[in-house]
Amino acid sequence: MSEGYHFEDELQRKSYDAQIMRRLLRYVRPYRGWFIAATLLLILVALTSNLTPLLMMWSVDHYINNPTRLGADAAGAASQAILDMQGLFQMILIIALLVIVEGIVRYLQMLVVAFVGQKTMLEMRMELFDHLQRMSLRFLDRNPVGRLMSRVTTDIEKIQQSIVTGVVEVISDLLTIGIVLVFMFAVNWRLAFVALSPVPFVFITSYIFRKYAHHSFLEIRRKVARLSAFMQETITGMRIVQIFGREQDHANRFDALNADHRDEWLTQIRNFALYFPVVEFFSASSTCLIILYCAWNILDLGQAVSGVASIGTFFGYVFWAERLFGPIRALADRYNLLLEAMASSERVFQLLDTPEDIMDKPSALNPGTLEGNVEFNNVWFAYEPEQWVLKNVSFRIAPGERVAIVGHTGAGKSTIINLLSRFYDVRQGAILVDGVDVRDYQQVALRRHVGIVLQDVFLFSGTIEQNIRLGDTEMSEAHVRACAEYVNAAKFIEKLPRQYQYEVGERGGNLSTGQRQLLAFARTLAHRPQILVLDEATSSIDTETEALIQDAIEKLMEGRTSIVIAHRLSTVQHADRIMVLHHGELRESGTHQELLAHGGLYRTLYELQYKGQDRHHARVANM
Amino acid sequence: MTASTPRIAVAPDRPFITLLRYNRPYWKAYGIGACLAVLFILFSLLTPVIIGRIVAGFEKNTMTYALVMGYFFTLMGLSIVEGVVRYFQRRLMIGASRHFEYDLRNDLFRHVERLSQRFFHKNRTGDIMARATSDINYVREFMGPGVMGTADMVRVPFTLGYMIYLSGKLTLFSLVPLPLISVLVYACVWYMNRQSKVVQELFSLVTSRAQENLAGARVVKAYGIADRESRDFRKDSENYMRANIKLVAFMSFAFPLIGMIVGAVLLMVIWQGGNMVIRREIDLATLSQFLIALIMLAWPLAQFGWVLTLYQRGAVSMKRIMSILCEAPDIRDDTRTDPNAAVTAGAISFRGVSFKYDEVLVLNEVSFDVEAGETVAIVGPTGCGKTTIVSLLTREYEPTTGEVFVDGRPLTQIPLARLRGALGYVPQDTFIFSDTIRANVTLGRPHASEEEIWHACEVAQLAETLRQMPQGLDTLLGERGINLSGGQKQRLALARALLRDPVVLILDDAFSSVDTHTEERILHRLHEVMKRRTNILISHRISSVAHAHLILVVEEGRIIERGTHEELLRLDGLYAEMFRRQQLETALEDVA
Ligand SMILES: Nc1ncnc2c1ncn2[C@@H]1O[C@H](COP(=O)(O)OP(=O)(O)OP(=O)(O)O)[C@@H](O)[C@H]1O
Ligand SMILES: Nc1ncnc2c1ncn2[C@@H]1O[C@H](COP(=O)(O)OP(=O)(O)OP(=O)(O)O)[C@@H](O)[C@H]1O
Ligand SMILES: [Mg+2]
Ligand SMILES: [Mg+2]
Repeated sequence: MSEGYHFEDELQRKSYDAQIMRRLLRYVRPYRGWFIAATLLLILVALTSNLTPLLMMWSVDHYINNPTRLGADAAGAASQAILDMQGLFQMILIIALLVIVEGIVRYLQMLVVAFVGQKTMLEMRMELFDHLQRMSLRFLDRNPVGRLMSRVTTDIEKIQQSIVTGVVEVISDLLTIGIVLVFMFAVNWRLAFVALSPVPFVFITSYIFRKYAHHSFLEIRRKVARLSAFMQETITGMRIVQIFGREQDHANRFDALNADHRDEWLTQIRNFALYFPVVEFFSASSTCLIILYCAWNILDLGQAVSGVASIGTFFGYVFWAERLFGPIRALADRYNLLLEAMASSERVFQLLDTPEDIMDKPSALNPGTLEGNVEFNNVWFAYEPEQWVLKNVSFRIAPGERVAIVGHTGAGKSTIINLLSRFYDVRQGAILVDGVDVRDYQQVALRRHVGIVLQDVFLFSGTIEQNIRLGDTEMSEAHVRACAEYVNAAKFIEKLPRQYQYEVGERGGNLSTGQRQLLAFARTLAHRPQILVLDEATSSIDTETEALIQDAIEKLMEGRTSIVIAHRLSTVQHADRIMVLHHGELRESGTHQELLAHGGLYRTLYELQYKGQDRHHARVANM
Repeated sequence: MTASTPRIAVAPDRPFITLLRYNRPYWKAYGIGACLAVLFILFSLLTPVIIGRIVAGFEKNTMTYALVMGYFFTLMGLSIVEGVVRYFQRRLMIGASRHFEYDLRNDLFRHVERLSQRFFHKNRTGDIMARATSDINYVREFMGPGVMGTADMVRVPFTLGYMIYLSGKLTLFSLVPLPLISVLVYACVWYMNRQSKVVQELFSLVTSRAQENLAGARVVKAYGIADRESRDFRKDSENYMRANIKLVAFMSFAFPLIGMIVGAVLLMVIWQGGNMVIRREIDLATLSQFLIALIMLAWPLAQFGWVLTLYQRGAVSMKRIMSILCEAPDIRDDTRTDPNAAVTAGAISFRGVSFKYDEVLVLNEVSFDVEAGETVAIVGPTGCGKTTIVSLLTREYEPTTGEVFVDGRPLTQIPLARLRGALGYVPQDTFIFSDTIRANVTLGRPHASEEEIWHACEVAQLAETLRQMPQGLDTLLGERGINLSGGQKQRLALARALLRDPVVLILDDAFSSVDTHTEERILHRLHEVMKRRTNILISHRISSVAHAHLILVVEEGRIIERGTHEELLRLDGLYAEMFRRQQLETALEDVA
């Protein structure tokens, strides 16, 4: 497979990428005002919260441990004590006020960030979904549903959590660090240096840690994806797994994937178990250094002198150090998250940037009705380069004509209708509907007029009625029922509990295969196509019902074009013309009679099916 | 833990007991982890003691350079010891939870594999997947961070004792609001969990809509309903977003509030403690020790609420997981099974078999016998119950009443694996794994020789197609075999069944997507294969079944006619009518 199948996500190790970031921020642009407001609020929070240690310092040095009071005589101390208590109370009130302001501002800021983040991601998710809707089947064939799903869900979630929230928090952390530094240096720059000396080590540790942790995270992600993909497929194919006795084998394979996943986590746990205590140690050593410095100073001076080093300063710095190391630690973690989100964004953008290989032209037509004239002009097509599936196919179908296509399996019959409804684009040649190239129609318009009963029936989980309607709210109830009647499905539907409201289960699992096919048929008729295409639409249906359906269709499709693909020649006998496809080439075309007289492929097929019966019969009787 | 781990006995309705049983192999890790937690708090409490000493040293002017250095190195040493303790605690406890997660997930997978089709029709794939992923993760979070957080609660009594020792009065001041934090955190997280559940449900709606939309992309395109789908998807996504904003708005309110309360408690202590220092009731050293201890206490208390919710969430998820684990595999080997029973000849009989999927009787008193080596055909209108008859023979379902026998033994006596091993089944709907063609063909016999594989492919007329593919047997297939034509898929399924060399061959409408020419060639080759075994054919075409030794005509779950082709024609019932219609078609074509 030259273009390859994408079963798994590649391991991406991305560093910070300014281009991706800029693109991400573009989504936030409509909410710029809110964003700026949030940042301003952040500055306010950073300022107010860092005033607290300063006020504490002041409280200790000037009230609680007031040197004047401590040095005074008993009487003086008593009166000073009352003053000090009043001063302390005022200080406490101011701090309390700051705490309240901080709480409120934080609330507002979180609210804004959450709102913007959610809004942005909704838009991003919709953009991705709509983009996927426009992607061609060629693309969808190659990308398993699970993989695309993880873009729409996990990746978008991750971006939402880490980019919008993350960016604001990183700003907040940086602000806090900056302001703490200003305070620390302003009050006592020597002490600030001492307190900050372990910071480089924190960065080095984080840097090393990040390398390992990030790698592990990517590995874990990949292993989770493998685990779920395998489980998902086993569950959907459980019937086959059980009938073919593959339980043990699948369990063993699952076990291996599961163990892989666990082991990667154990590595990651070791990384974290090492990282946390080391960083903790550095922040503790900062506190120890502050203590050491203050103690040393006080001893040098023989007493606590305010301004150089005092007990208050000591307390203040311990608080500041706490406030400093919190954000520093967080920054390292957030950077990790940000990197993960970068990888997610890159995957999402990659998907968004995958061009829609089948696109409407700007001037695409949207006709109200069609005549039903279909023409293939020297059509060449290949799913994989150089493996031609259709070779120079040309034919013309007049409006109202009933044409049948027959041919061996894999001859390219389904491919013809895939091209007619433009699920794929031809490699060479052209397909015309009513004389206009299908590439000049709007896809939706074209497909509205071309009704296909697909070879592989797909039903949505939901009721029978929903599956016929497909969300068309204007369709009348009577019409839904009438279409079910036409295909003789009404008979079985009416026997079901809740009838048209019967839940068909995932992929219609609660119905028999033939019943599913009948529903798919009813659904196509319900949408009143101008050109009806039946790809093995009655292959699993009994001959009596098939005959009934054929009569109904004959009436319904009066004057409309129909193309029927069938292996049972009894199904194609009514056709005005039969085309025989062989290895991607159109070999014969004509009425039943003409083709029989011609004595080619069709005749062989025919003889095999009908005259062969006796031979077959005789042979089996000998068994 | 190896693949042969015996399943843990699940105690229904007792998620906690089941959890304990699952974690029994790791009790040592948890036990040592708990001891380490005690060790950790003992070391941590030394920090305020030393800081108190230092402050006291200054207050009383008894400090020396040597003492300062001593304290400094002690503090540094302490923090190293704390780190080492923490390292082991984390690796042991969180590590154990990952081992437990692995065990539980493996068990869940194995269990699901043993459940019958009934279960899979009742439960959506997405729901089962959610159990194996997010639910297991919630349970693990409880066993890992949750249990570790619980172990850390031993800090509370130690720290409290220390605080009371420092100052009873201050302890009282701080104790009044502190439990409030726990309660508040609990209440908040309770609400958050409730709202999270809403968010989770809306999210799974978004997910399943996207999932179905992508899986049914062909239908969505063919009917041009992309816009409608997009509208519905937006509606779901918006609901999800709104619920999410509600949740986050609440969190934005709750978290600062908790922060404010903790701040208020600290201020209260500083204020009252400060006053006490000024009044000389305590000294500054005691106050500083007290403050440090208080901060050490506030953390586990806030954490307590969080741990409670981890527990709550874990219990809910464990119950959801157990609802699957407790689902008894209704079809399995049990006391009735005779380990020596085997399918050798392939004689089949149905005795008075009736069957219901749910409310409606789908099979009604079906009885028939097939001798070993004979061919039986089942015909009848769409939805009459043909596939259902076969799925009772493969034991995907169990008859509601009546019994099925193979080689004279009731199916319940034959070990399930042996029964299925003797069947070669080509189901009506082909399921293909996204793997190579080889892996798909050898599904029922992984160690088949190259020769055998090609032989099966020859018989199924797949060989020629394979030769035309550049990678042949090693061609990778897309999801559900997307890159094969309908007939190619069906022939692959046929080759897969033939490779098993089955005693009983079951072809359920196995040529519906195959052209007559190819069908004829397959039948020609199949003739040899079928000779040596019992065959069950389901078809809508009289021509394919006419030769069978026994033809059963089924209508609405009842066998209404039975016999050979000739007998049935003489009977002149539904079968004869079907035959005439198909004859007529042929004749018409001849005349036309
Ligand atoms: N999505 C796809 N990607 C790659 N190859 C494909 C794809 N669909 C079909 N093919 C290949 O193209 C060829 C023609 O397939 P097509 O489905 O048109 O056959 P068909 O005539 O409809 O056969 P059948 O009667 O079995 O349905 C086959 O060899 C098939 O393997
Ligand atoms: N999983 C299920 N749950 C509920 N009802 C079911 C389920 N599978 C089949 N049925 C119902 O049981 C009846 C018999 O189904 P069955 O699949 O046996 O029909 P069939 O004879 O094989 O039809 P077909 O010719 O369409 O394959 C049908 O009416 C169908 O709706
Ligand atoms: Mg086809
Ligand atoms: Mg069936």
